Amino acid sequence: MGSPAKPFEFKQCISLIKSTGKKAKDLRELREIIGFISDESLFHHTYQYFLERRILEYNNDFAHWAGESLEERTLSEYFSNIDPFLFKGIDELRKALLEVIDNYLKQFPEPREAMPGNEFYFNEAVILFFPAGLKANNLAEFLIAIKYIDPPSIYYHFYEARIRLGSGIDDFSKWVEEALGRKELALRMRNIDPLMHTLDGIRGHLAEMVEEEVKKDMEVVPK
Amino acid sequence: MIDEYSGISPKGDLILLQKLGEKMSGKSFLHINSTRAGGGVAEILQRMIPVLQEIGIDARWEVIRGDSKFFDITKKIHNALQGNPERITKEMWAYHFEVNQKNAETCRLEADAILIHDPQPVPLIEFKKGGRWIWRCHIDVSSPVKEVWDHLLNYCNKYEATIFSVGKFTRAMVVDQFIIPPAIDPFSEKNRELTGGEVDETVTKFRIPVDRPILLQVSRFDRFKDPIGVIKSYRIVKKYNDCILVLAGSPATDDPEGEIVLNEAREVAGGDPDIHVLLLPPFSDKDINALQRIATVVLQKSLKEGFGLTVSEAMWKGKPVVGGAVGGIPLQIAHGATGFLVHSVEGAAFRIRQLLNNPDLAKRMGENAREYVRTNFLITRQIRDYLSLWYSLENKGRNILEL
Repeated sequence: MGSPAKPFEFKQCISLIKSTGKKAKDLRELREIIGFISDESLFHHTYQYFLERRILEYNNDFAHWAGESLEERTLSEYFSNIDPFLFKGIDELRKALLEVIDNYLKQFPEPREAMPGNEFYFNEAVILFFPAGLKANNLAEFLIAIKYIDPPSIYYHFYEARIRLGSGIDDFSKWVEEALGRKELALRMRNIDPLMHTLDGIRGHLAEMVEEEVKKDMEVVPK
Repeated sequence: MIDEYSGISPKGDLILLQKLGEKMSGKSFLHINSTRAGGGVAEILQRMIPVLQEIGIDARWEVIRGDSKFFDITKKIHNALQGNPERITKEMWAYHFEVNQKNAETCRLEADAILIHDPQPVPLIEFKKGGRWIWRCHIDVSSPVKEVWDHLLNYCNKYEATIFSVGKFTRAMVVDQFIIPPAIDPFSEKNRELTGGEVDETVTKFRIPVDRPILLQVSRFDRFKDPIGVIKSYRIVKKYNDCILVLAGSPATDDPEGEIVLNEAREVAGGDPDIHVLLLPPFSDKDINALQRIATVVLQKSLKEGFGLTVSEAMWKGKPVVGGAVGGIPLQIAHGATGFLVHSVEGAAFRIRQLLNNPDLAKRMGENAREYVRTNFLITRQIRDYLSLWYSLENKGRNILEL
C-alpha cells in the first residue's frame, strides 16, 4: 500500500437554527406552508435532518412530525419514503412532498391537529464549515480517524458531499477510489444507504469495511 | 481554561471556538442580565465569560440593579409571558423603563456585540450606543398574555436578532429569531466530579438517609416547577417502594414568590420524615451536585419550563430523569432512551416505579443521558453558537459560511 498523492482532510460543520416564524398545526396548514416556504427551509427539514443526531429513526422532519406529533403512522411512512438525494432540485422535492400530502388528504380528508406546542415549526439553518484538524494519508490512518471523528464530520463528507459534488457520491468513497485506487471498496461504501442509518450507524459500516480492507493488506501470504 | 474541555467536549466544538476566537479577536462582547446568583443564566455566565476572554474576546458581564418593586414587576412580566394571567399597568411599565434608564447611566453599554438576557433589562435597547444588539429569551413565551408580549415586542423589534431556547418558544417577529439551547458546564461547582468525602459532607449536613432509593427534584420553589405534584407522585410510589424524597432549591433575588411556594410545599409534606424540603442558600452548588450524585431518580416535573437545565445537570451525572413534557425538557429527554417524559402526577409515579424496579434500565438510561448531554448540552457548544450567531450577523445574508 503506497502513500496516496493526496491525503484525506476531514472537515466538519455545525448548524445554527433560524426560525421562519411559520408553523402548521395540521396537514392542511403544512401543505399550504410547504407551497411557499423558502428552499432553505425545505432543505433544512430534509437533507439536513441527518446532521442532528436523532435517536428515533425517521428520514426527515416531516415524517418525524407526522409520526410523533400527529401520530399519523401511515403518513409518516409516506414521508419516510421520500429520498431527497434523488431530486435534481428543491422544486422537485417540494412537488413530491405536496403530492404525498394531497394523496393522504384524499384518503383522510379530515386530518387531526397536533397538540398546542407540537405544531410543525418551519426553520432554516446557517451552516458553518471548518477543518476538523485531522487528515489521513492512508487507509489505516483513515480507519482510526473514522472511528473517532465527531459525527458532524461524517455528515459533511457522507451527506452534504452528495449535494456539493452534485453526483450523489460521497467524499469518502471518492477519495478511496481516486487517491487510493480502490474501486471495489469505493463501490461497497456507496452501497451504504444514507437514509437508513444514523451518523454513528454510517460510521460503524464505514469502519467495518475499511478495517476488513486493512486486515487484508496486512495478511502475510505464505510463499 | 479551554484546555480543560479537551477530551470532554466534542473536538469539533473546541476547534470552531478557537477559529471563531481568531476571527473575532479583540472585539468586545457584553452580556447583561438581572441577577448575579440563582438561576441558570447567572450560573452559565460565570463560566462563559472567562472562556470567551481566553479565546481572545473582550467579554464582560453587567448586572442591572433594581429594588423589590422592580423585581415584583419583572416577576409578573415573567409569569405573564409564561401564560399566567397578570396585569401590568402603565405605571408598572413606566417603572420598568425608569429602572433600566437609571442602569443605562451606570452600565458601560459600549461593545461590538451586546447580549441582553431575558425581559428585565430588555428596555436597555433604547439606550443603544452602537454594536450589534441581540435579545436572548430564556423563557417559554409560546402562549403569553398578549398585552404583555405586545408591549415587550416594541423593545424586542429594535434588536438586530433574538435567540430562543427551543423552536416552539419563538413567535412572529420582524427580527431574525435563532434557536440556541442553553447548556451546562462540566467543571462548575455544580457539575464537577466530587470525592466520596465531599458527597458524605452534604449527606451528613442535611441528614439524608442513604439506605433507601432517593428521589430528587432540584429547582426554585416556583409553582411552575410543581413541587406539590412531586410530593403527590412520591406518595404513590411510597405505597410500593420505600424511598426518600428530597426537594431542594435556592432562592433567587428576582423571585419574590419563592417563599410562599416553599411554605406550601412544607405544609403538604406535613410531618413525613422521609420528605426533605431543603431551602439552600445561594452558592450551594456543591451541595446540589452531591444531592444529584446520591439520587436514584431525578425529577423535573415542571408544568411550564424555560429550558430546565437541571435536567441536563442530572443527566450529565448519569442519572435517569423523569421530566414534565414541557418547555425544553423534551429536547433533553428522548422518551425511553435518555429518560422519561410525563404528563401527570400518576405518570411520574409510574415511571419512577419502573426505574426503581429495573436498575439495569436506570443504568442504561443514565449512560445514554450522559452521552447525549456531552454532544448537545455542554457550555462549549453554547459559546460556539453565540459566537457563530455573531459571526453570521457580521456576514449577513449568507447561509453557508466557511472558516
